[in-house]
This record gives sequence, structure tokens and C-alpha cells, in this order.
Amino acid sequence: MLTLQTWIVHVLFIFFTTESVGELLEPCGYIKPESPVVQLGSNFTAVCVLKEKCMDYFHVNASYIFWKTNHLTVPKEQYTTINKTASSVTFTDTSSLNTQLTCNIRTFGQIDQNVYGIRIISGLPPEKPKNLSCIVNEGKKMMCQWDPGRETYLETNFTLKSEWATEKFADCKTKRDTPTSCTVDYSPVYFVNTEVWVEAENALGKVTSDHINFDPVDKVKPNPPHNLSVSNSEELSSILKLTWINSSIQDFIRLKYNIQYRTRDSSVWNQIPPEDTASTRSSFTVQDLKPFTEYVFRIRCMKEDGKGFWSDWSEEASGITYEDRPSKAPSFWYKIEPSHTHGYRSVQLIWKTLPPFEANGKILDYEVTLTRWKSRLQNYTVNETKWTVNITNDRYIATLTVRNLVGKSDAAVLTIPAYDFKATRPVRDLKAFPKDNMLWVEWTAPNESVNKYILEWCVLSDKSPCIPDWQQEDGLVHRTYLRGNLAESKCYLITVTPVFADGPGSPESIKAYLKQAPPSKGPTVRTKKVGKNEAVLEWDQLPVDVQNGFIRNYTIFYRTIIGNETAVNVDSSHTEYTLSSLTSDTLYMVRMAAYTDEGGKDGPEFTFTTPKFAQGEIEAIVVPVCLAFLLTTLLGVLFCFNKRDLIKKHIWPNVPDPSKSHIAQWSPHTPPRHNFNSKDQMYSDGNFTDVSVVEIEAANDKKPFPEDLKSLDLFKKEKISTEGHSSGIGGSSCMSSSRPSISSSDENESAQNTSGTVQYSTVVHSGYRHQVPSVQVFSRSESTQPLLDSEERPEDLQLVENTESSAGSFPRQQYFKQNCSQRDTSPDISHFERSKQVSSVNEEDFVRLKQQMSDISKPFEAGQMKMFQEISVADAFGPHTDGLVEGFETVGMEAAVDEGMPKSYLPQTVRRGGYMPQ
Amino acid sequence: GVVPLLLVLHWKHGAGTPLPITPVNATCATRHPCHSNLMNQIRNQLAQLNGSANALFILYYTAQGEPFPNNLDKLCGPNVTDFPPFHANGTEKTRLVELYRIIAYLGASLGNITRDQKVLNPNALSLHSKLNATADILRGLLSNVLCRLCNKYHVAHVDVAYGPDTSGKDVFQKKKLGCQLLGKYKQVIAVVAQA
Repeated sequence: MLTLQTWIVHVLFIFFTTESVGELLEPCGYIKPESPVVQLGSNFTAVCVLKEKCMDYFHVNASYIFWKTNHLTVPKEQYTTINKTASSVTFTDTSSLNTQLTCNIRTFGQIDQNVYGIRIISGLPPEKPKNLSCIVNEGKKMMCQWDPGRETYLETNFTLKSEWATEKFADCKTKRDTPTSCTVDYSPVYFVNTEVWVEAENALGKVTSDHINFDPVDKVKPNPPHNLSVSNSEELSSILKLTWINSSIQDFIRLKYNIQYRTRDSSVWNQIPPEDTASTRSSFTVQDLKPFTEYVFRIRCMKEDGKGFWSDWSEEASGITYEDRPSKAPSFWYKIEPSHTHGYRSVQLIWKTLPPFEANGKILDYEVTLTRWKSRLQNYTVNETKWTVNITNDRYIATLTVRNLVGKSDAAVLTIPAYDFKATRPVRDLKAFPKDNMLWVEWTAPNESVNKYILEWCVLSDKSPCIPDWQQEDGLVHRTYLRGNLAESKCYLITVTPVFADGPGSPESIKAYLKQAPPSKGPTVRTKKVGKNEAVLEWDQLPVDVQNGFIRNYTIFYRTIIGNETAVNVDSSHTEYTLSSLTSDTLYMVRMAAYTDEGGKDGPEFTFTTPKFAQGEIEAIVVPVCLAFLLTTLLGVLFCFNKRDLIKKHIWPNVPDPSKSHIAQWSPHTPPRHNFNSKDQMYSDGNFTDVSVVEIEAANDKKPFPEDLKSLDLFKKEKISTEGHSSGIGGSSCMSSSRPSISSSDENESAQNTSGTVQYSTVVHSGYRHQVPSVQVFSRSESTQPLLDSEERPEDLQLVENTESSAGSFPRQQYFKQNCSQRDTSPDISHFERSKQVSSVNEEDFVRLKQQMSDISKPFEAGQMKMFQEISVADAFGPHTDGLVEGFETVGMEAAVDEGMPKSYLPQTVRRGGYMPQ
Repeated sequence: GVVPLLLVLHWKHGAGTPLPITPVNATCATRHPCHSNLMNQIRNQLAQLNGSANALFILYYTAQGEPFPNNLDKLCGPNVTDFPPFHANGTEKTRLVELYRIIAYLGASLGNITRDQKVLNPNALSLHSKLNATADILRGLLSNVLCRLCNKYHVAHVDVAYGPDTSGKDVFQKKKLGCQLLGKYKQVIAVVAQA
């Protein structure tokens, strides 16, 4: 029971559900027309009709309808409410090919409900097919094609219809991929007129082409003739006979033909005159052909009356005409080769192989005859194209004929002039130029009649020798092209030689290129000379192998690292160029390009740096400066020399050295010293007036030599004679000046005289003033050093005084000068100079010397010891530290020094005795 | 008048019996006007047939094999008794009418032969092709003759006769009858072509 109730519920549910779904699926209305196809540009109206049921359900009517095309609402201006249930929309000038049109209503004021939708297809009706034509390929079925006209945008069917007058054939439906042609499915029947037309149909209409009526035989395209063969005739070398087999169509129609032929190496077809082949045939003889030439033939056919189509060309067939005698004498030339046999020449006769169209057959051999002047000819048979023979220096005439299977050619004659023949009469205005990918040569003929011209040419190269090729031209020719295998970018040297009846003329040569190209390499530039503001560049001419053309000019590009590039054009004849206006001390980069008519090529870049100074500029500065310096120096030296005394007084006054002072005893009995002899001689004129003779009573046992005593005595005498001028004691330095001093005989005066200098003193060995010594002893200080530091100033004062009284002191200055000169010239003085350098001796040496000398100075008193030490220091620069005495000997005052060593300390003794130098 | 002619033109291979030619008193009409040089076309067609008749005959007996090639006189003699007559010295109309009958007769017979040969010598494609081509030419010739008769002589109906039906005969008889017909055809077409 329960199961039954459940089942009933299910059935009811399904029933109501199905009912409600059916209502929902049912549209609320519909559009008419249902599937419209509209012609482009025409008007179209659609009507939407609502169902009453739907109107009641949604409470709408036709005024609620709105239209959409492709989801865009159509303007209401295009709507028309026909009645309560129907609304229409009109489109003018439809242009869209495919439009979706929907009818919609707005329910409950806001919900858009789609009622119905259609798709509008737009297009054009078919145009009348044009240009209908048919063709019947022999053995195949008829095929017709046409021009379908404009695009319809709709599916358009083309149907080819055909019929006889008494019978209609099945329609020929076009295939989708070939809508403009159709091949009927029945075999063509000739000689029965067939009417053919095309129907084009689509949704917008059907149109039929014009009918064409024809006999299929007039539309036939025959199969080409086959089995074409060619045969020649031994009787006639200018004909070839063609035979072929016609297609089977020739059984019932007449044919005409086209026969074409060409030589094997040609691509241009010649055609037999059509009127000669206007009827059915299966063979034809072609005439006026060249002997021994291979010809290629082909043939085609069509209906004799010209209706229909030409067949395809048959397969090609070739044949060779029979041989004929050579039609022309070969080109003939010669070369003279050096011969080792005296009186003979080696002549190489050369000739060209005749081209096939002149050889007219296979060349068997060549016949050469050689005739010496007024002698019989000699015959030679040669198989090659050259022949070398030794001939005398006489004139010869050579002839050449070429022979083939049929006969001989005419003879080519060549005159070989005598050895001493001088060629003249060259061609004039020789030119060579490329044209149409050939190298043409043009010249003006000489005034005399020319038999022929010989053109020779070869490639100029640095790598390979000039291997000439040649050709011969007729005597009337004055323009031809080189018939060799010429290459582009090669320099050809072309020589034209006119050949007269009596021999060759003078050759003329010219260079030419078949086609120029930019050079393969650019010139390598380098500097020849680099100046401050200019640089001389130089380069080598490009080798002919890389020129690839005539070098027209060079361009030099140069720039600095940061500067713009500058280009300079240079004529091709130059090999160097000077760049000017360069900046000094700058790195320049330079490269060079060579240009032919076809372009240029850059060479490698080269860098150079301009110098900071021009050549000679430094010298120009330095030399004058040096000269000026030298001049200044010289003038200074001269000035110094002239004003040396003045300068000396200001800069380097004489300063006596107390440490080198000697206490000399002016003793008239003391002979002068030896080393003063030279001075005596030198100043024998009496200028030497200020000599002090120091007589020292040596502390040691050593006695002065008699000679010394003599010299001292002489000095004394001289002193007496020049009294009033001599001070008795001279300065030891040349720069020192001294006032005239009086010997000890005048103490006051002496005191006055020495009050300024103080260096000099007269020492009485055995006493002072009140003690009259037996021998008057003078002590003199020869030191250039101040006696005491505190006493330097008085010396300066003395210098001033000496300057003022220089005139009066001149003789003594001479003396000091002598001392100076002596010291300058005498190597012994070096000891003295070294002694001056004692101040730089270190104390260690000083102490050591003091120790060495202490043993010697033991017998002396403390004060003496002190002075001795000072002298020892001074003589420490002598050769021997213990050679103190020897050191003084070298000064030339051996006796005085040896004995005066202790005496040199007499000032202390004097000081001790009461004498105080002022 | 046209309907029986069309029936003739549309004979099918293998039609065992000749199509009945029933005179109709309809006006002579064609689908489109006949060409002006019909007679030339007819002559060309006859020449075309004449040019291929011998080849067809040879091809046929060759294809049949022995004993036909070596017994042509006995087996392939033109002994066709009911072959329509042709009078070369008749008027053009008469000749055209006789030609019409001959073509109709030949057409039907050639249809039978073609049907039989496809069975008897299915590999003799060349023969088949030649038979079909001849039949096509005959159809075209018939159309032209009819067009000429209709156009010029307003003849809308011609009584025709057909040869024997070979469908019920044995193989040899089929071959023999075919060979005899082609022999006759070669003989007759040569005469007609010259007329």
C-alpha cells in the first residue's frame, strides 16, 4: 500500500515537472522570416510576434519588445509596433554578412527576457559567368572553365551543362576546390556540335552564362608528335631531315606544325617558316644549316585550320650536319725566339684552331709552307697549332692551310720580315674599355693598307709572368673585343700590331680592366719624417695584383685620439705627402685608402707622435744660452781678473795665519835662502823690495847651511837698500796685504807699522830692547790665520788701510804675489794647503798626533809645548807625522824651519819676555 | 518524332532487342539549332569511322584468338544478311535515311559486341576502348544525320532495323557474329564514306 502511494507520488512529480519544463522551453514568441538570406545593401524587415500566453504571464505586449543585433540594442526608431502582439524592425542597406538578430522583452520593468533569435545571412546573387571556354585534350575528356564573376559571400554552385542538338548530357558539377572549371564525364565526340553553358546558383538567385556552341574538334589540343628523329645527308652538308610520328588524331583531322631548331650551344630557337609546315606530314627537311654543326629540333602541331590549341612541344632531337671544307683560313702569327746559332733565328709560328662553324668538320692537320726570298717553298704538315723553325735572317713568307675530311681551307699568309727590319706605322688612338661584360679595343688604322691586326694581351701580375693570348682581326676592323676568357679585377696589357703586306708594324700597348673593383688591400702608410707641426708620410705603390683597377687617388685620414678625422686626397702619382698644421707632442693615427673607379680600401692604421720641439729648436735655445752664459762668465772672469785686487780686498782679504808664523831674524849676515834665488832672479829689477829674512836661532843643534846664511845676508843687504819701503816681514798669503814695515831697528815705527797687522815681529833671541843680541834675529809669522780670534778685527782694519795705501805697498804686494805664484805653481805648497785644511781634521787624529809629538816636545816648556802641538796639528797632513821638519823643508825654508821649529814659539817667548804684539 | 530518335540515340549496350521505332506525327524539333556545316561533319565522321574500321576489325579478331585470325574468310566474312542497304547514288535525303538505318543497326550491334567482349575478353582493354570510341562516333553521326534530316528535310521519323540479339548465343557464336558484323561494318563504312 505504501509502495503504491510512493509510486503515484513519483509519477505525479514527473508529470508536473515535465509539464513545467515543456512550458519553459516553449518560446515566448517567434521571428519571421526564420532564416533570412539578405542581399547586401538591400532593406530587411523582421517581425517578432509574442504569444498570448506569454504576454499574460509577463504582463507585456508588443510595445515591450526591443531588438538586438549581435547583442547591441537596435535604436527604437527602427521599430514599428504592428499590433498588440507584433513588432517589426527594419534595417536599411544591410552590410553585415552575418548578423544575429534577437527579439527581447523587458519584464517586470527591469528584467530583459530573450524571446527569439535568428541569424541573418547577407550576400550577393551570382554574377553571370563569363569567358566560358573549353578544351579537349586529345585522349581525354573535355574540360571547360569560366570566370565566375564577383564574390557572392554565399555558397554558390556552378553547373556546366552540355548538349547536342538531339541529346542532353549529364550536368557537370564543379568540385569545391575548382569552382571555375569542370571536366565532363563523357568522351568527346568530334564533328558534332555541342552546346555548353554554365549555371551559377546560390540562395539569392540563379544565373546562366552565355551558351557556346562548338565542334569539339575545334577545341582539341592534340598530343605532340613523337619519335622525332634527325638525319643528315652526305651530299649536302647544310641539310637535316626530321621524321616523326603524328598523334592518332591525324587520322581524321589535318594538322599543321611548328618546327624549331637551334645549335647545341645556343639557347635561342629558330623556327621553320610556318607556311612550310602548314599541312599534315611526318617528315621535314631543314635547309641552310651550317656544316658539321649539331642542331637540336622540336616540333608541335595543331589542327590545320588553326582552330583549337597547339600541342605541347615534342621531345627534343638533335643531329649533326655533314662536314664541309673549312670556310676560313686560321689566324696566323709568329714569335721570334732567340737562337744560339749565328745568322739564324728561331721562329715559332702559331695559329688558332678554327672554331667549329669555320672548321666545318674535324680538323685532320695543318699544312705550313715557308718560302725564303726568291727560293722554292718548303712544305710541312703539322698536327699542333704551333711550329718552331730556325730560319736565316732573311725575309720569309709563311702560309698555313687547315685540312679536314672534305678539303682544305684558304691559305693564311704571313710575312716574316728580315732580321734588320724596323717596324713602323703603329695604330693610333688605341683605346680599351669594358662594355657589356667584354673588353673592347678600339684604334685608328695607320694610313697604309693593313692586311690584318694581331691583338695580344696578358694579365699583369707581380706573381706570375705575362703569358700572352692573342687573336687576329681583319684589316678592315678597327674595333673588336677580346675573345679570351678574361677575368675581372685583372690588369690586362693589350698590344695591337698592324700587319702589312711587307711585315708587321710597330705594336702599340694599353692597359685595361674588364671590370674594376676596389683594391684588395689598402696602402701601408708610414712616416718618413716627423716634425713638430708636420709629418712627411710615404707609402709604396700598391702591387698590381691588389689594385683591382686603376688607382685614381689616395685619401689620407688622420686624427688625434680625441679629434675628428681629417681626410686629404692625394693624387695617385704621389708616394709621399706632408701633413702640415699638426699639433706638437700629439699622437696621430693615420691610415690611407686607395681608390679605383669602383671604390676604395683602407690600409692599416699607423700612429706617430709629433715631437715637443722642432729639430734644432733645443739647440737654438741652448746654444745661445750657453754662449750667453759663457760670455757672461768670460766677462765676469775678465772683470774679476781686472778687478781682482778690489775683489780680493772685499771678499778674500789676506789673513795671516799665526800658526804658520815664523819668527825670523833679520840678520844682514844671514845668507838668503836657496829657494829665494829664483825670486831674486825673477825680481832682479829691484821690485822685490819687501823681503824679510828671518834668522832663527834654532833650538836644536842643527846649524844653518852656509848657503842659507848667504841668502839671508843678501836679503839683509837688499833690505837696507830699500829701507823705508820694506817692512821686513811679508805676509805668507798672496791675498794678504801688508803695509811697509820697518825692521826692528826702528821699534816705534815698527810698532806703528805692525799695530794694524800685528803678525810681524822682530824677535831678539837673546833679549829685548835693553839686551843687544849678538845676532839680530827677526821672527815673522807667515800664517794666514789670525793670530787670535780676538785679533781678527784689527786685520780687517789693516785691510782697509792697505787698500788705501795700495800704491805705496805695491812692491810688497809683488812679493806676496810671488809667494802666491810660487805657492800656486809649486807642488810643495800642497802641503801648505793641506795644512790649511787642518781645521777639518777630527780630534782623534789630533790627539794621536799630540801623543806622537809629546815625546819630541818634552825638553820644552809648557808654553812652547802648547805651540808645538798646534803646529804639529797643522803638519799632521804632511807625508809623515814625525816629519815635522820635513814638512817645512818642502816649503823651501828647510833651514829656517828645521831650526826655527822651536823658534816659531818665540811669540810666546816674547809674550813671556814682555813683547806683546798690538 | 523526336522521342523515338532520342531512344535510338540513347540505346544502351546490351539491349537485347532493337528499340522499337514508332512513327510519331510530332513536328521535327531539336534542342538547339543544328550547325550549318552538318554535312561536312557527317563526312568527317564517316571518314573517322572508315579510318578506324579496319583497325577495329583487326583488333577484334586478334583479340578473339584462334581460329579467327587464320580463318577470317570463313569466320569473319561479311555475311550479315539483314544489314540495312545503302545506295551511294541516291539522293542526299535517301542516303541520309539509309545512313541513319545503318548507323542505328551498327550502333545496336556494336553495343551487343561491346557487352559480349567485356565478358569474353575482359582484358582486351584496347578493344573495349576502340569499340566504345566507335560507338561514340556513331552516336555523334546519328545525331548529325538526324539533325540534318530534321533540319533540312523535316524528317522526324525513320524506320530502323536491328541485328540479332546475341545474348542467348554461345561464346563462339558471339565472337563469330561480332567478327562478321565488324567485317561488314568495315566494308560498308568504306562505301558510305566514299559516297
